[in-house]
Amino acid sequence: MLKRLTNLQVQLLLAVMLLASLVLSAGVGAFSFAPGRMLLYLGQGVHWLAPTASDALDRNVFLQLRVPRVLVAGLTGAILGVSGTLMQGLFRNPIVEPGLVGTSAGAALGASLVFVFGGTAVFAPTAALGSLLLPVVAFAGAFAATMVVYRVSASFGTVNVFTLLLAGIAVNAMCAAGTGYLSFIARDPQARNITFWSLGTFTTATWYGAAMIATVLVLGMFWTRRAGKALNALMLGEEEAAALGVDPRKLVMQLLVVNTLMVAVATAMVGVIAFVGLVVPHLLRLLKSSDYTFLIPASALLGALLMEVVDVVARLVVAPAELPVGIITALVGAPIFLAILLRQQRPAGSGL
Amino acid sequence: MVELHGVGYRAGGREILHDVSAWLEPGRFHVILGPNGAGKSTLLRIAAGLLRPSAGEVRYDGQPVRALAADALARTRAVLSQHITLPFPLPAEDVVMMGRYPHFGRAPGARDRVIVSEALALVGMTDRRAQSYPTLSGGEQQKIQMARVLAQIWNETRAGAPQSPRILFLDEPTSSLDVRYQLHLLDIARGLLAHDCTVVAVLHDLNMALHCGDDFLVLEDGRLALQANDPSAVDGALLERVFRVRAHRVSDPVSGDALWRFEL
Repeated sequence: MLKRLTNLQVQLLLAVMLLASLVLSAGVGAFSFAPGRMLLYLGQGVHWLAPTASDALDRNVFLQLRVPRVLVAGLTGAILGVSGTLMQGLFRNPIVEPGLVGTSAGAALGASLVFVFGGTAVFAPTAALGSLLLPVVAFAGAFAATMVVYRVSASFGTVNVFTLLLAGIAVNAMCAAGTGYLSFIARDPQARNITFWSLGTFTTATWYGAAMIATVLVLGMFWTRRAGKALNALMLGEEEAAALGVDPRKLVMQLLVVNTLMVAVATAMVGVIAFVGLVVPHLLRLLKSSDYTFLIPASALLGALLMEVVDVVARLVVAPAELPVGIITALVGAPIFLAILLRQQRPAGSGL
Repeated sequence: MVELHGVGYRAGGREILHDVSAWLEPGRFHVILGPNGAGKSTLLRIAAGLLRPSAGEVRYDGQPVRALAADALARTRAVLSQHITLPFPLPAEDVVMMGRYPHFGRAPGARDRVIVSEALALVGMTDRRAQSYPTLSGGEQQKIQMARVLAQIWNETRAGAPQSPRILFLDEPTSSLDVRYQLHLLDIARGLLAHDCTVVAVLHDLNMALHCGDDFLVLEDGRLALQANDPSAVDGALLERVFRVRAHRVSDPVSGDALWRFEL
């Protein structure tokens, strides 16, 4: 049905649905807000309207908790969606995503290091980094983990699925062990929460987090604005892409850095959320097209949309408590991962 | 004109090419011949600017290839290798459009769409343009790839303007195809010669190579054993020495040209 629409129309449709999901996500939960209320509070938040004293609590909940949370969820979803698309393009494989190739786990390790040792002598020389310490260290961890997986899986010429998955398992396990140990010795309540690191949550969302994630998302989308054509050409193979004027080595490096930056910052703020990056490009390919000039922007929109829906579900199913969002994404994503793996391994010689 | 000046290539301590010098001219079909491991594909990739030689250099119309920007090079020459599979499905015409990538920025223009249509028509695949690439047969897929490289170096020169060089490299493009597709593909490549395109091909079938080539480069252990512009220069003694087989010359009953029969 979507195949009849143009790429632009599909993107517009996704944008409209995203907008609706943002309103829904901002409205429901332990405190619920009608759309009129939201506009009123937003107006008061930017001082266009005079604040009313009677609903100060509601307003604060909405402006300081709910809105940052909705933004962090959407921005994180956009990053994970785009990241999955970029990685699948680079590895030329539909089973790759930041949770599998170690990017998220490496970022979590880096971030938990900062939470545990951030105020101590270990990081004293880096004090000048200030509020950038967390994203910088998360990036370092994510980049190291991703490079190990990439190097191991590409060490025999072409990227091999099995080597890739096994290297991902090993690196994820190492990073999880490190994060687990740090949680164990931690005093910081956020660092102590192992669920936060392994299953992700938006309950700790802040305006600072939203600003950080928005910054890297904008940077990432800007740097990858020409990557669509290059990733399409890369589908033909590295040599063919080179013959079309693409420098595969430069492309791989550029996209790994951009991608790692985006995922690292998002993970440092919300923890590891797996399978979103896997499912989003898969759905878009099924519904519309494998053309990366379409997939990259569309996966940002669909990633954000899905994440809002998942967050709403996480808030509602066990209300007034909340499920970690990673439980829902894994529940839905893991079977899809298995289905893709089965379908991919069926024809002989398509192992790449 | 493509010039190879003393090209050498070493990899893993092994010398794959040694001091190869050759001239590849517009309007001629050059065939690189030689046994497996003689360095044919390496020579083709170096000539196409995909691989940097360890010694010597490659020039296009006097310009060193390594001085050309990647996208300028991509508008000058195209490379077709054997059987290409895609990890994800795309419509056939999107694959052909990739040939136009070096020519446009964000989105293809009307001219690019016209060229894609003409390239599809030239390979006889117009009616399959919307079909998903992985569902095409191997021969049809290779025709789509041929349309892609044709679109890449499509002649856009306006009348009176100086001709820019255009070179088509074919690396065993027909090795997985049946005879009809082989003939068709080579026929399309020969059709480019009338438009002053330079064609350089690695071909495995010796009789087909001798039949459709104008210029012959024979490689033996990474050295150029022969460059000749006449199939009769590729004689029995040379074939026997280079390929280490016995070669018997028979006459084509139709044209009288040489045909070779080989045995151990």
